[in-house]
Amino acid sequence: MKRLEELTYFEILEIPVHASSFEIREAYREALSIYSEDSLSTYAFFDEDERKRVLDKIEEAYATLVDEKRRAEYERRLVLQGRIDSSLLKEKEPKKPIPIFQVGQSKSREAFVNRIRQKVKASSQDEGRKTILDKDQLAGEDLKRFREAIGLSLEEVFELTRINVSILKAIEGDLYEALPAMIYLKSFIKSYAQVLALDPESTLQAYLKGFPSGSTAF
Amino acid sequence: MGCIYPIGGGKGGSGKSFITANLGVLFASLGNRVVLLDLDLGGSNLHTLLGLTNPRSGLHDFLNKTVSDLDDTVVETLIPNLFIISSVRCSMEIANLFYVQKMKIIKAIQGLPYDCILLDLGAGTNYNTLDFFLASNEGLFVVTPEPTSIENTFRFIRAVYLRKLKQILREKDFSDVLRELASHSKNGVMGSPSSVIEAVSQRDRAKGELLLDRLGEFELKFVLNQFRKHTDVKLGDKIERVCNKHFYSRFKFLDNISYDERVHDSIFSKEVYIVKYPYTPTAAALQNIVNKIVSNGSQPELKRSVVL
Repeated sequence: MKRLEELTYFEILEIPVHASSFEIREAYREALSIYSEDSLSTYAFFDEDERKRVLDKIEEAYATLVDEKRRAEYERRLVLQGRIDSSLLKEKEPKKPIPIFQVGQSKSREAFVNRIRQKVKASSQDEGRKTILDKDQLAGEDLKRFREAIGLSLEEVFELTRINVSILKAIEGDLYEALPAMIYLKSFIKSYAQVLALDPESTLQAYLKGFPSGSTAF
Repeated sequence: MGCIYPIGGGKGGSGKSFITANLGVLFASLGNRVVLLDLDLGGSNLHTLLGLTNPRSGLHDFLNKTVSDLDDTVVETLIPNLFIISSVRCSMEIANLFYVQKMKIIKAIQGLPYDCILLDLGAGTNYNTLDFFLASNEGLFVVTPEPTSIENTFRFIRAVYLRKLKQILREKDFSDVLRELASHSKNGVMGSPSSVIEAVSQRDRAKGELLLDRLGEFELKFVLNQFRKHTDVKLGDKIERVCNKHFYSRFKFLDNISYDERVHDSIFSKEVYIVKYPYTPTAAALQNIVNKIVSNGSQPELKRSVVL
């Protein structure tokens, strides 16, 4: 039989080094059900002394790991002895839910919005902005080209405006059938223009001029 | 050489012959040429499970030198691709096989030209059984979920280990270690496998590691047979965990084979259970075991699907 003394407490309870206290409790319960005297799975596997030694070790492992202070101390010792890799311990922080479209590092929404604004500002697309504003008519295609020149993704526009990505795609692709009712569309175009740092009112006017008169949105 | 699976388990009546016969049929149905060897010497009845009353040739022909090739003692069964070497006609004293005869049989088994060779072993931990079990690096234990069977299985595994250790010590000329161990032990009887390993490691670390490496080559699988309702469904997994933690080899639990009254019927009617009752939960478990063995990857030579 392998020597019990060579196993770490984690190996004795068969749990990963970053196990939560819930996992530790479960593993302890499971270990007791395997190694207790009346367990079928280890019947006659150990003599009395051996079984007592195993159970003592399980008890010791549990008592250490379930106590945060003692656990931290024990982990430090294992790392010093080189028996576990310190990077394995890092996963202990419980994961928090993240918004589906948040791609950057910053955690608060405000920082995120600011970052996009900075991006728009820093893109120095004054030339492009001027050409767009000079245009008499605007199509979704023009807005798309301009957005891409700035380097914004549709998901980022969504994060700022909360306009559904499928609607943004319909606007940019000039898919008139998929557009919402005019009253909503007008406010969407204005918000979108704002994100791109275009004048909302004149952008809307130019966009509406390019809008086919027979469209269902009217 | 095809794959050799000794099927053992320490306790009598646990279903070793039953499992051997049924797995044999299933392996053969996948298109493998399969031979079953009845090595329960002095207690053979594998042929009866396969519906053969008195096989005309068998192991006795090989032992009394009527034939020189073990393959010539093979008898066809009623199942295509499935063959058997019976030991039913061996002498009444066959249970006490001579060492030379045993070695001759093991060597011949390893040269048999089949895809799959299943060895049906007897109960207990006598040297014959242990040595036949050690003819391969793989093996299958049949355990029933009862204290008696589990106790005997653990004892069997330890006995196999000790036998293997002695073989390696002899083979690798560790005679000095062996002598020293014998002088320290009571009446020349060696203790547990772990005490042998520990003693060798203390004297020579490299030799100790060699022993562990060789034990690590073993891959032992086990099934829980005659599994009844109300038994802990996780029992097999628990035993697997205990074995992997405390022994030096790899252990794998394959499946629970549920208890079925109809096994009794099939033995009475001398038909193989899986042929007579192919759509029962017990049959499904047997099929699952075969699937797990062939998809294991360690047996690339075994065919996995029906070949017409």
